Amino acid sequence: MNTTSTTLAPLFTFLEYSLTTAQTTFDKLPGSAVVLRYVKSSHQNDPGRTLLELILFLFAIRTLLQSRTRADRNGKHFIQFSDKEIDELVDEWTPEPLETPLTPDEASDLAAVPVIVGPNGPKPKLASTGKTATNLASFNFAGLAGNEHIKQRAIETLRKYGLGSCGPPGFYGTLDVHMDLEHDIADFLGTEAAILYSQGFSTISSVIPAFCKRGDIIVADRAVNFAIQKGIQISRSTVRWYNHNDLNSLEEVLNNIDKERKKRRGPLTRRFIITEGIFQKDGAMVDLPKLIELKYKYKYRLILDESYSFGVVGRTGRGLTELYNVPASKVDMLLGSCAIGLASCGGFCAGSQIVVDHQRINGPSFVFSASMPALLAVGASEGINIMRNTPSIFEALQENVRAARAILDRIDCITIPSHPASPVIHIYVRPQPAAGGLLSASVSTSSHVSASVHHVTFPSAKEAMKQAEYEAEERLLQEVVEDCLAQGVIVTRAKRLKGQEISEARPSIRLALTAALTKKETEKAVGVLKSALVKVLSKRR
Amino acid sequence: MPSKSPSPMAFTKPAQSPSIFKKRSASALSSLPASAASYLSALSQADARARSANNNSPTSTPALSLSSSITSSSEDTILHEDDYMNDPVLGSNKDGLLLPSRPPTSEQVFSTVHTEFGHCASEEYRMTSQHPPGKPLAVHVPKDPPYYILLSTYISYLILIVLGHVRDFVGKRLNPGSYKHLMPRDGYAPLNSDFDSFYTRRLKTRMDECFSQPVTGVAGRTILLLDRISPDYNHSYVFTGSRTRALNISSYNYLGFAQARGGCADAVEESIRRYGISTLGSRLEAGNSDLHVVSEALVAKFVGMEDALISSMGFATNSTFIPALVSKGCLVISDEFNHASIRFGVRISGANVRMFKHNDMKSLESLLREVISQGQPKTHRPWKKILVIVEGLYSMEGTLVNLPAIVELKKKYKFYLFVDEAHSIGALGPHGRGVADYFGINPRAIDILMGTFTKSFGAAGGYIAGNKALIDRLRVYGHSGPYAEAMTPPVLTQVIASMASIMGLKPSGAAGSGSTSEQLLVPRGSVPPAQALDDEYHHPGPAPASSLPAWISLPAALSSGAEGRTRLRRLAFNARYLHHGLRKLGFITYGHPTSPIVPLLIFNPGKMNMFHRLMKERQTPIIVVVVAYPATPLVTSRVRFCVSAAHTKEDVDTVLRACDEIGDVLDLKHGIPKRERWSIEEVVRRAVELGTSEEE
Repeated sequence: MNTTSTTLAPLFTFLEYSLTTAQTTFDKLPGSAVVLRYVKSSHQNDPGRTLLELILFLFAIRTLLQSRTRADRNGKHFIQFSDKEIDELVDEWTPEPLETPLTPDEASDLAAVPVIVGPNGPKPKLASTGKTATNLASFNFAGLAGNEHIKQRAIETLRKYGLGSCGPPGFYGTLDVHMDLEHDIADFLGTEAAILYSQGFSTISSVIPAFCKRGDIIVADRAVNFAIQKGIQISRSTVRWYNHNDLNSLEEVLNNIDKERKKRRGPLTRRFIITEGIFQKDGAMVDLPKLIELKYKYKYRLILDESYSFGVVGRTGRGLTELYNVPASKVDMLLGSCAIGLASCGGFCAGSQIVVDHQRINGPSFVFSASMPALLAVGASEGINIMRNTPSIFEALQENVRAARAILDRIDCITIPSHPASPVIHIYVRPQPAAGGLLSASVSTSSHVSASVHHVTFPSAKEAMKQAEYEAEERLLQEVVEDCLAQGVIVTRAKRLKGQEISEARPSIRLALTAALTKKETEKAVGVLKSALVKVLSKRR
Repeated sequence: MPSKSPSPMAFTKPAQSPSIFKKRSASALSSLPASAASYLSALSQADARARSANNNSPTSTPALSLSSSITSSSEDTILHEDDYMNDPVLGSNKDGLLLPSRPPTSEQVFSTVHTEFGHCASEEYRMTSQHPPGKPLAVHVPKDPPYYILLSTYISYLILIVLGHVRDFVGKRLNPGSYKHLMPRDGYAPLNSDFDSFYTRRLKTRMDECFSQPVTGVAGRTILLLDRISPDYNHSYVFTGSRTRALNISSYNYLGFAQARGGCADAVEESIRRYGISTLGSRLEAGNSDLHVVSEALVAKFVGMEDALISSMGFATNSTFIPALVSKGCLVISDEFNHASIRFGVRISGANVRMFKHNDMKSLESLLREVISQGQPKTHRPWKKILVIVEGLYSMEGTLVNLPAIVELKKKYKFYLFVDEAHSIGALGPHGRGVADYFGINPRAIDILMGTFTKSFGAAGGYIAGNKALIDRLRVYGHSGPYAEAMTPPVLTQVIASMASIMGLKPSGAAGSGSTSEQLLVPRGSVPPAQALDDEYHHPGPAPASSLPAWISLPAALSSGAEGRTRLRRLAFNARYLHHGLRKLGFITYGHPTSPIVPLLIFNPGKMNMFHRLMKERQTPIIVVVVAYPATPLVTSRVRFCVSAAHTKEDVDTVLRACDEIGDVLDLKHGIPKRERWSIEEVVRRAVELGTSEEE
């Protein structure tokens, strides 16, 4: 025993020595006393806390080391400046003005937007002239605007619910009338469920990011509307575009993706086809049965935006699914607008229970926005009731469409890209022979455009020429619009967001026919448009 | 009745159409009860008052229009046509919500239904929402809970996560059917993987009863819950068919304009008769109505900007207009707690984003110095523009933006300032003009003001305001202009009517007369606004009556602005009272006392469910909003109260009493040591002191 202690004695002295050295060096460190005192006192008060803090300390170090947000401060692009230099740089920096004023053309277009005094409908009164005019521009397809029964129900609802819901759906903003409308929509279309958004335009840009995430594949029509473009952009998914309303091109794209996937043996990702029923940009209609066939063949999910076809086509206004006699349950996410189709407000997405429930937690504009006013929900429900019970509405509408097309199709100086059955009719200026070749050649052929590209630039001279041509067409069409307004017919140019869309659409006049006008009235109004078109467009030669 | 034909009288001065509320406003002028029943009741009460010994000359509320004055229970049943009055439970005053605790005197004529907008006549319970001039905004330091609370919270989450994974592991083997939708199937990837949905399935589902509770009726002072039960652990719900009336301290009904009766609702009814419920299109494509023009002018005047633009959805106001303000090469500096709609808008704008620590001016300044000196990433080119986006009042924290400090920084660093007043507009400031009004700063010192109508105005949608050139650009380049549906006439009318009643109207012709001058000028100048502007902030006075459509005739109380002022003062009192009351009781609360949003910290996830249920199942049911991760940081789960001008002082008492009891049960009082706490009786007794305290 004694021997062991003597043999270990040098070791102990060494240990003691090294400990004292460690302590003295620690004491020499600036601020060490503070740390020591802190640890001591906290340990005295609460021993458990020392342990907790130690763990937290280690955790904090780890987090700091991992931090990505601070990375650019240390990154190789970071330049160290002194305070004085920074002050100088701050003084030097002049930002661009927040707003660039509108160009004279834009300003005059804005000023020319008609203001409607009093109720809008088939024959509203214009503020500019003080006279009533025939309305071929507003979305009143089924003629629900101004319906006395809807008004009456809206007033009853107002007296029971007030106006605003004062809360998002998650926090006491879900009213029984919202659930009723969701049920009515699902029942009307024949899907399991539906979910209500408080603005039609924001619906699809919220539905897409709810399902499509980074790494997922979206195949979309090149001419989809702006809301879809923004939804795709924010989803950060991989996008492939196919030629506008060309299902052969779609099949080609699907085939290519399939081949690529097989080659790469990548994991199974979610895949979506996104397109519109009736296109907002030109009134073309998608061949739904073929589309459904392709979707099943290649195992894609279909997001179909029926904003401009729900409440617009079909025997009772159920949209494309009714027109083509396809069960709505075959469309995975069927979107429509209560604002456009039901002359109320808001939009919806119908689909299976799983699809709908998923959005109740993941749809940004559903979760973070107040629910729609009760009386507008009731108004939309009543709209569905009326459409369900009066198929004659859509017969009358189709008759008006036929009557209008009969007149328009015979005009030489225009072309109409819209489907013959579509009450949304776009009118293009027929390109003059010299310019014709140029236009058709300018359609872009590349099939992938990244989702992040959203500001279209015009690099080539050809593109610049096209833009000049479009501007000239716009001016002509605006002249037609103003001519019609002066003669008591409201039509409008299709307004676009220039420079922000994926592909610049051709300027057009957009008509929206309504069942609220008789065939005679429609013919008369379209006749006015025809003479204005002929008059203005013949001038340019 | 107004005819179906297009109205010939919207712009031209009309002969008033015979509408129901014309009758009402006429009777309001003569100050006579509308019905025999209320007249009799008023008589009987005058009689009772005369006989009662304690007669402390009650101050009546400013002349409110009358219509259905609900004063006694018998009359209530007569005048209150709502169907639920026949319900044995809802028709009785068992929950103490149906009738005011103090019966009104004959001098107090209330125009509102007590369940929608509480009757509170005492002028004591009023306060002005205004920042003391010259004083900097105190830095908000969130109080920390004791360590054992933090520890148990982390452990709770840990247990939940472990348990969830165990259940998933076992469940996938024993009951694969219920996981079918989370697994790849027939060549389709699942819409939602089991990993992505783990939080929803294993944590949120446990407290689903706190969320998405369907309701009916007006989201006013009280609300009717549609009772539901879940037979399968919150996977689905079954409605029992019964309804419960609950005190509503959850809706964003700050000024109490969520009403089915009263001047605003009457105006909305008239607008439906005249305009229908839609304007059928977007603003740039034939959906542009005269009501839009009128209300945009009014909004611009209200917020004190040159021009304003209205959008039909609050979320979309941010998500569709921010991309038109900034683009590639621009930088957005955003508060870390900014709302999802701002993030959405910034993301699609293509601009770079940097965040600064919530409301931390030092963090903002050092970030500004860094980004301006460094320029754009990699290229080091100067930024085209820098836009700082902050919220006036943060919806989860209840904190106010330090606007005076930001305006100071703006002068030096030349950034543009965007203030989202979604929650603060209407709710803050002596005139309800939002956070700039509260601090006495000229709104023109801010470049862009955005706000919503969902909250204080009881409507829907939002606005964005700025100088004319900017707003015109947004009209053309904002995504909403060509594509989104325009705001509907009933909503526009609610906006016009509620906003006009906050501003007050001055009769055209007698513009700027002496009677209204007291509110024209509010000379304050703690912070001098931008160089080009006057040193003194001149508040926009009442709106000229001619700025409203002629067919909107508001009752005298609304058009004089008297009721609007009362609402603002009631809200300010209620907010301060609840906030200080909770603090004195010992709770940890966040935010500024003037904010109508009062978050009470709960921390432990298990307690949230308990708190929610205990509040709901009281004799006087109270519904609350509980929020947890991911809307808040993981540990700081909270309950969020939203007080309203519609609440009476007694309602706030009720909430405080409930919190006091539940707080003891759930061990939530960690704010101040026990000896400093007040008893609930003391809090209630000293309500006036608490509600008018300037303390921050």
